[in-house]
Amino acid sequence: MLKNKGRYRPRKLKPLVGKQAKELLETLDDDHLITKMFKSFAAELDQKHDRYERIVKLSRDITIESKRIIFLLHSINTELDEKKNSVLLEAESRLLNISNHNFRSIATELKDQDGYLYHRAFTDGMQEFIEALCLYHFTKEGIIYSWDKYKEYFQYKNEENSAFELLFVQYDFILGIADFTGELMRKCINTLTSGNVDDCFKLCNFVRFIYTAFLGLPPTGNKNISRKMYVLKQSLSKMELVCYNIQIRGSEVPKHMLLNVIQSHEEESDDGFSL
Amino acid sequence: MSEPQKIVITDIFSPFQEYINAEQEVREVIKNIIKDVEKSLREMLITLQVIHSEINCELIHNAILKTREQFEEIRKGFDALDKVVPPSQYYRYNDHWRFATQKLCFVAALIVFLEKGVLIDQITAAEILGLHQKENVHLNLEDYLMGLLILATELARFAVNAVTLGDYNRPLQISKFVAELNAGFRLLNLKNDSLRKRFDALKYDVKKIEEVVYDLSIRGLISTNQNAEQATGVTKNE
Repeated sequence: MLKNKGRYRPRKLKPLVGKQAKELLETLDDDHLITKMFKSFAAELDQKHDRYERIVKLSRDITIESKRIIFLLHSINTELDEKKNSVLLEAESRLLNISNHNFRSIATELKDQDGYLYHRAFTDGMQEFIEALCLYHFTKEGIIYSWDKYKEYFQYKNEENSAFELLFVQYDFILGIADFTGELMRKCINTLTSGNVDDCFKLCNFVRFIYTAFLGLPPTGNKNISRKMYVLKQSLSKMELVCYNIQIRGSEVPKHMLLNVIQSHEEESDDGFSL
Repeated sequence: MSEPQKIVITDIFSPFQEYINAEQEVREVIKNIIKDVEKSLREMLITLQVIHSEINCELIHNAILKTREQFEEIRKGFDALDKVVPPSQYYRYNDHWRFATQKLCFVAALIVFLEKGVLIDQITAAEILGLHQKENVHLNLEDYLMGLLILATELARFAVNAVTLGDYNRPLQISKFVAELNAGFRLLNLKNDSLRKRFDALKYDVKKIEEVVYDLSIRGLISTNQNAEQATGVTKNE
């Protein structure tokens, strides 16, 4: 192969393993020290990777189910108490189901492991779940709870009654809350269509509190936080615009028409978000 | 302050701020430890550069001895790190020392290669680095493997320079060694991660070394295979 070295320059870009290495590949048997060593490495790497993949799968299911629960919670029309209660009941049981099955499986996978090694595999599902959980509590009680309280959703007991828990990183909690404000924005606009303007102001204020709190955070070096804060700011501006329109046009336009007014207003300054 | 605002601030964001602050403090301490470790690491890398320009056994021997002494500082650093990293949070802060650990692993692997001509195993590497049987820190497999890949690149360079210095046996030893390493790495199912990318560069090192061996052989600088084996044998026993 080296005879044509000069003529076949492109070969340099994609070298083949040379003759000697090839011979060695063929002659190395299973008992060779190197073979043994690397086989055990391979097993260790595979094990890690497989566990990671299993968790990613579990996390993906959590994300999907959480999104569905969020959708369900949006279907609530505040007028009908009875319907509201039944939806809330369903949401609660589905949230608990995620906690008791999907998250429990992840926690079981991670027993005796360094959770941070696999954190990236389930952070998305975790954030989505927190988002759904916050929306549920907010819809039900008008408030969200602290990290300590939500931590309970990730604490389990096994058959021998010994406790174990899933790593619940505070960043995931805060990022979940940031996502949750997006849902509040959606809720605010939905409320508007039903003509309930008081709730719009309340929702807007609540998101404003959260935004203010985010402003107070020290720099964390966590890129996700700044990225989500940007989205949060946009949602908040949108809500503030809604409130502004209600205030200024509320008396001129019938309430169910307000949405059209705001939408046409938005088209001028929109950033691609569609309702 | 209204009720919801109070909850948002005191129940949710204040604890989070405390959490961030506590984390930053730990990171600061770690950064300072690693800064010293990296300083020693740079000194070691400089010390070992002598292999590329000197053929004198004694000089190389001294460089190895000096590097071994410098590892004392590294072990002190990792001792301190072990006390700072909270239990089972190795991977939370791992980014701070991953790169240094890989390089250190390479240095350890290089001196073991120079001394004995063999591939360092993971436990020996951990022992040299002072990461063996520690409570909260360890030498993880990926860093160790990464160190070996760095070693292959350095050895490719070493093979070239050894020839320049008139040492025609070294490339043969290196060639055999790296070919074995390559065979080993081929047994791993690497995923699309940094280790995989680094491994993809290994074939260039293998090729470079083989070209050196080829150049030597066509010029008759390695007379017969038998001689070559003897030669590598001799270097090994040194």
